Amino acid sequence: MTHTRRNTIRRRLAYTACIALCGFGIATTASSAAIPLEASLKQLLLERAYDRSVETQVKHKPWAWADMTTVGKISHPRLKQSAIILSAGSYEAMRAGPTLMGGSAKIGEAGTSVIAAHRDTHFAFLKDVRVGDTIRASGEDGKARAYRVTHMEVVEADEFTIPEDLPENALALSTCYPFGSVRGGTKRYVVHAIADKG
Amino acid sequence: MSSSLSISTPKAAATRCFLPAASMLLALPAGVALLVGTATPAFSKDAAATSEKKGPQSGTLVMRTKGGEKLPPAIQLGTDMDVTVSGNIARVRVTQVFRNRSQDWVEGTYLYPLSEGAAVDSLKMTVGNRVIIGKIKKREEAREIYETAKAQGKKAGLVEQQRPNMFTNSVANIGPGETVMVVIEYQMPLKQLDGIFSMRLPLVVGPRYVPPHSITDKAALDDAKTVTAAPIASPKDGKINPVSINVDLAPGFKPANIDSAYHKVYIDGKGKRRAISLAKGTVPQDRDFELSWRSASANPVLSLYKEQVQDKHYIMASITPPVQDEKSYIPPREMVFVIDNSGSMSGESMVEAKASLIHALGTLRPRDHFNIIRFDDTMELVFDTSIAATPENIEAAKTFTNALEADGGTEMLPALKAALVDHQVTDRSKVVRQVIFLTDGNISNEDEMLEAIGGDAGNSRVFTVGIGSAPNNYLMNRMATNGRGIYTNIADTKEVTVRMAKLLDMLSRPSVQDLQVSVTGNGFDLTPKRLPDLYAGEPLVLLGVSDSMVGKVTVSGLIGKKRWKQSLDLVDAIASPSVAKLWARRRIDDIEADRILDKIDDKEADKQITQLGLDFHIVTSMTSLVAVDETPSRPKGTPLRVEDLPINLPKGWDFDHLFGGETAQASLANEVTLANRQATKKFKLPQTATNYMGGLLGGLLAFLIGAFGLITLRRRHKITKDI
Repeated sequence: MTHTRRNTIRRRLAYTACIALCGFGIATTASSAAIPLEASLKQLLLERAYDRSVETQVKHKPWAWADMTTVGKISHPRLKQSAIILSAGSYEAMRAGPTLMGGSAKIGEAGTSVIAAHRDTHFAFLKDVRVGDTIRASGEDGKARAYRVTHMEVVEADEFTIPEDLPENALALSTCYPFGSVRGGTKRYVVHAIADKG
Repeated sequence: MSSSLSISTPKAAATRCFLPAASMLLALPAGVALLVGTATPAFSKDAAATSEKKGPQSGTLVMRTKGGEKLPPAIQLGTDMDVTVSGNIARVRVTQVFRNRSQDWVEGTYLYPLSEGAAVDSLKMTVGNRVIIGKIKKREEAREIYETAKAQGKKAGLVEQQRPNMFTNSVANIGPGETVMVVIEYQMPLKQLDGIFSMRLPLVVGPRYVPPHSITDKAALDDAKTVTAAPIASPKDGKINPVSINVDLAPGFKPANIDSAYHKVYIDGKGKRRAISLAKGTVPQDRDFELSWRSASANPVLSLYKEQVQDKHYIMASITPPVQDEKSYIPPREMVFVIDNSGSMSGESMVEAKASLIHALGTLRPRDHFNIIRFDDTMELVFDTSIAATPENIEAAKTFTNALEADGGTEMLPALKAALVDHQVTDRSKVVRQVIFLTDGNISNEDEMLEAIGGDAGNSRVFTVGIGSAPNNYLMNRMATNGRGIYTNIADTKEVTVRMAKLLDMLSRPSVQDLQVSVTGNGFDLTPKRLPDLYAGEPLVLLGVSDSMVGKVTVSGLIGKKRWKQSLDLVDAIASPSVAKLWARRRIDDIEADRILDKIDDKEADKQITQLGLDFHIVTSMTSLVAVDETPSRPKGTPLRVEDLPINLPKGWDFDHLFGGETAQASLANEVTLANRQATKKFKLPQTATNYMGGLLGGLLAFLIGAFGLITLRRRHKITKDI
């Protein structure tokens, strides 16, 4: 009798554990699946906010609770990629789009604009970018400029340097490296592009 | 032996197609094209192919056009120099008048040279009828005070040392049509040689060449930008920056043979005093001013000055050993000539350098050995090692020299290093090895040069001949001092024979051997600690500090085979208000020398120099003078125009050669490369991976495990029930 009872308790515990595991699995899967979905969906909202900001030259929030603003747009015509760039490099902002790092130059102005985005969402295409590619980017004025990809580099996150007193605008597009990895790491992949003259 | 002659004339000419030279800024008539002092590898194809002994990567001019600077210069500069010579010391008051001719508020920065060894101790800024006295501060602190005042719209003046002989004055917030006067004062010891006293006032900074390899970090880049910041005015627009010079000469004796080498002067007065002024009133600042004189009676051989500051006593003593009269036998010698044929030498300088070298070659005897090294951004040794001075070898060397053309960058370091290599061709116990440098010294990596010479230049002695109208006297003088040689100037082809003959005569004659200095009484701490080699007619100049002024300074040595001794009683010292500051300046030279020889670490050196600067109220590498007019003048919101004042190209320099045609074109092409030479700043890159795939897979895996567990449990339960 006691034996059967003990068995029943053990079985129930096992059941609960398995159900919990299933639940956790479903939740994790759902929230993970939501990331690329959110990344794409928020870009739609951002696109509208950016267009309106450019048009009216007044900052429009992409959604009511947003803590960031749109500062530009970047596109890669050959790979048919484009994304709205956000201010502030917060985790929240990064989920919505590439962000322009604080302390770097504004897009279109003299200096290097350092733009970071996730390797598995907005900047997944960086692995297919080649030297000589054209990248188009526009800043807060909405004016699109052409940039030429000059080189790529893999650097340690805390050993990256940009030139000071650059006479024209350059882009440094950064994402985590290696691309296939599912863990974070200290290496970064950076695509460098410089504004075309004239 | 002549088989080792490796260079023929055509080749010497062929290597001349390197891009020129010197880092400088250029004010073109149409606007201002800025030329920045970083350079890039820029071999022309032919040159790279023909040059076997390539130097380091070639440097070239890089010109940068700054947008929005297509305006005529706003500031007009006028300078007045008022010099008082008392005994062996000159005190100079320089008044710089900044006149703003534009409608803008302007900040003007002026790059100017001072005599090396000058101790700047006073800054006064005059605005209207207000005089603001400058204070000595630590360099960064002074810069900060200045920048703050500038931002607040207040008038401010700042004197900074960029090199021991190169300074900048910045004046902020000069209103439209306004004039601001900046007065600085300094003192310097005079040069004395063979009874001739001379005072050299440099009036323009020769454009400096910045070797690409020296741009290692932001600080180096900033320094390179500063020393090359002044745009060069095109001679087509006429000379700018007029100066008037007045000298009150009171040498303490009746002067004779008063001579101004490069400027016509009026001389007035009688007895022991003279007033000297420029015959033309003003001249453009485009070359050194040199005034020399001697005593109407016997050459003064001794002088002693003193100053008491608080409880410390300072002395400056100058003792000239007698010159051995009889022309004794001159032992065989080995001479290595190093001649600069970089672009900055183009024009009269190259003519002077070649003539000087040809003259020197003519004095060699078959028992002497010699070699020639020429350098621009490449270098060549005419012979592999020093070679006997046979008529054929001399002839070949002359042919080589005559074919030299000035072009290319100024990579002096490899040439110096090559010259210092002693192949022991001659016997070191009998033959002194002498390296003779012929250059304008217009480079920015002085420290590297001095480092290469080190404490004693190894087995060699280094002599320098400063060529041209505005040589880098600091570098040339230091090289000679550290290399135990002497320094002379040649700025005119007419001087070549006299000055080269004099130099060659001096370095052929035995200097004072076994020089010793002793002090009795309360020991003076004397500098230089490492006594120099004295050449005939050269004085030993000692500076010292002590707690009391009693005792004797005795200098002794061996001249020829005779023992010589000279004593100075400190009681006889003449009071002078400059001695303490000159002592401090000399102390700083000693610290810098120790720094180069790694006898003192950077931090400690900087600390000591800062303290000396603050204690003696003098401008140093670590201390600057700053003056702020507390009354704000520039209205809020009005922009400030920033201007580097243009300077003249030194007289005799070939402007068209440096800035015209192909050179300028090639320079512009290198603009892009400049961007790669830029200093960089670190930038932390954020974590950029959502790892949603990881989440997705992990989640699915967890779900599957859970589901599998549930199925298994259910089945086991069912089986148990069935039983």
